Amino acid sequence: MIEVDRISKTFRHRKHKGKAPHQKDKREDGKLFYAVRNVTFRAEAGTILGLLGPNGAGKTTLLRMLSTALKPSEGTARFDGVDVVERPLDVRRRIGFLSDNTGLYGRLTAREMIEYYGKLHGLEQAKINKRMDELFSLLEMTAFVDKRNDSLSSGMKQKVSIARTLIHDPEVIIFDEPTTGLDVAAAEAILKFIESCKDKGKTVLFCTHHMHEVDRLCDFVVILHKGWLCFEGSIEQMRSDTGQTHLDKAFLTLIDSSEVNHAA
Amino acid sequence: MRLNILTIYLKEMKEVLRDRKTLIFMVALPTLVVPVLMNIMIGFIVRAEKKAQTETLTFAIFGSEHLPDLANAFSEEEGFEKVNIPIQEAIASAIEENKIKFGLVIPQTARVQLERDEQVAVQFYYNNASATSKVKNRASKVIREFSEKYRSERLAGLGLDTPQEQEHLLNPVTIEEHNTADLREVLGERVGGMLPYLFIIFCFMGAMYPAIDLGAGEKERGTLETLLLAPIRRYQIVLGKFLVIFTTGVTAALLSLTSMGVMLATKGKEITGELGEVIASVSVVDLVLIAAMLIPTAAMFAAVLLSVSIYAKSFKEASAYCGPLNFLAIVPAFIAMLPIVKLDWYWAMVPITNISLAIKELIKGTMNYEMFTAILGSSVVIAGAFLFFCSRWFEREAVLFRQ
Repeated sequence: MIEVDRISKTFRHRKHKGKAPHQKDKREDGKLFYAVRNVTFRAEAGTILGLLGPNGAGKTTLLRMLSTALKPSEGTARFDGVDVVERPLDVRRRIGFLSDNTGLYGRLTAREMIEYYGKLHGLEQAKINKRMDELFSLLEMTAFVDKRNDSLSSGMKQKVSIARTLIHDPEVIIFDEPTTGLDVAAAEAILKFIESCKDKGKTVLFCTHHMHEVDRLCDFVVILHKGWLCFEGSIEQMRSDTGQTHLDKAFLTLIDSSEVNHAA
Repeated sequence: MRLNILTIYLKEMKEVLRDRKTLIFMVALPTLVVPVLMNIMIGFIVRAEKKAQTETLTFAIFGSEHLPDLANAFSEEEGFEKVNIPIQEAIASAIEENKIKFGLVIPQTARVQLERDEQVAVQFYYNNASATSKVKNRASKVIREFSEKYRSERLAGLGLDTPQEQEHLLNPVTIEEHNTADLREVLGERVGGMLPYLFIIFCFMGAMYPAIDLGAGEKERGTLETLLLAPIRRYQIVLGKFLVIFTTGVTAALLSLTSMGVMLATKGKEITGELGEVIASVSVVDLVLIAAMLIPTAAMFAAVLLSVSIYAKSFKEASAYCGPLNFLAIVPAFIAMLPIVKLDWYWAMVPITNISLAIKELIKGTMNYEMFTAILGSSVVIAGAFLFFCSRWFEREAVLFRQ
C-alpha cells in the first residue's frame, strides 16, 4: 500500500530577468519554486493507480520522492507503513522503479546487469539465479540474455529494464511511461505484464500520457497539474465529474478547470 | 557494506575493461606510446647530432688572399667544402638558401696586423637557429687552432718557449673543481624533473576518461538514477566508483613507470660509462618509493575528477570541465621542473608539486626520508579530504538532479 500525505517539494527559485509580473509561474512562492505542492493520495495493495498530468506537472519529482531519490520538503510518503524519509533503504527494498529514461549498462549483458542489481538488493546468488530464470522465461528473454545491452532493440531493452526492476520481487512497482518509444507488440507485452502484477497482489503506480492505457489498466487515477493535485478518484468518477465519455477529453477538462481554480 | 562497494567496484571495472577508450588511456598510451616516442626522439636526436658532427660544411670565404694560411687550413680540414659566391653581400642570402653553411670575411689588413702582433677580427656569418647545429663549433675549432699557432709563436718570441710557461702566463690563476655532487645527482637534477611530470600526466589521463564515464556518463544514460534506487548508501556508490577511477589512474601511472623501467633496464645495458652506472644505480627500492608517491596522487585525481564528473549533466559537459582541470595537474608538476624550485619544507606542503619534487629527489638519490614521509602522509590526508568532499557532494540533490 502507498500512502502519500501532504507531500511537497520545493527548489530554490530561479530568477527570470525581464519577465513580466503576469508571466510569473503560479508555483513560485517567494524564493521557492513548488514542483509538487501538498499532494495527498493512497493506493491499496492489488490495485493499479494511474498518475497523470501534462508535461511539467510534477510527476517525475513526485515519483523521485516516492522512490527516495529526492527528499520531500514537506509531508511524507509511506510504503506499507515504511516512511520514505526515515527508512529509505527499506523503502527501496520494497519498490521497483521502471522509467522510460532509465538506461542500461551498454557494455554488460542483460544477465550481468540483472545479476548486479540482484546483488545490490542483497540477494543470495542461488536466489538471483532462480529469479532470473523465472523472469527470463516470463518476459521471453532467453534468446538475448547473454548479448550486450548495446546490441539490443528498444523492446528487448525495455524487457531487460523490467527484469532489473523486478529482480528483488518488490511489493510496489512504479512504471513511469513504460511504453514510450515501443512498437505495438512490445507495448502490448508490457501492458499485459502490468496487468499480471495486479493479479499477483502487487501495488502498481502507473504513470503515462496514453489515456487508452489508463482506461484499460487503472483502478484509480490521480492527476497533477502545475504541482497541485487536481483530481483523485476512479475512471468512472473522472468521466462523471466532467461529463465526458472520452477519457482524453475528461482529462483536458480537469486540467482546464484546475487552471481556472488556481488562477482565481 | 563492503560487499556493496565490492559489487559496484567489480561491475564498474568489468565495464571499464570492456571500453576501448579507457584501455587506450589506461594501458596502451603509458605502456607503448611513451617508450616508442622516447625511442624515436632519442634516435632522432642521436642521428641529428651525428649528422651535425660529420656532414660536409659548405662555406664561402672572402679576403683569402689577405690570409691564405687560414683559407688553406679550411681546405685541408676534412668535412669542409669551399663554394664560390659572387659578392660578399650575398653571404646571408646564400646561408638562407642553404647554398653555404657559413661565410668568412678576412679583413684587408689581416697580414699586416699579424706581423705587428695585433689582433685580427675575422667576420663569421652563420645561422644559429638550429639547436643541433655544430657549424660554429666546427668552424671555430679550425680558426682557434690557426690562432693558437700564432699565439705560440708570439709567446716564444717573448722568451716563453715551453707550453707550460705559456700556460702560466695566459692563466696565472686556475680553478681545480671538487664537485660534491655525484653524477647521479647531477643527472637527476637535469632530467629528474621530467619523469614525475610524465608519470603525473599519465596518472591524470588514466583516471579522467573513466571518471567522466562513471559520473556524467551514467547520468546521461539514465543508469545513475536506477543505481540510486538500489538499497545501498550513497557513500558506498561513491567509494565503489572512486576505487575504479583510482585503479585506472594508478595503473596508468605505474605502467608508465614500469615501461620506462623496462626500457632503461634493456636500453641501459647498451649505455656504457658513467651514464650506464647512473642508470644501474636507480634501485628497485627507489622505483617502489616512486610508485608509493603516485598512489595518493591517483587518489586525489580520482576524487576531484569524480566530483566534477558527477556535477556535469552530460559527457560533453564533463569533458569541458576536465580539460581545464588538466592544468591543475600540469602546472604544479611543471613547477617542479624549474631549476630554482628545490624540495624544502615549504614546497613539501604544496600538493602535486611536492610529489613531483620527491620523485625527482628519489631519482637523484638525495631524498630526505623524513620529508618523504611527511609528503606521503599529507598527500594521503588531502586525498582523504577530497574523497570526503566527493561523498558529501554526491549526497546533494542539486548535484545529482541538476537541471
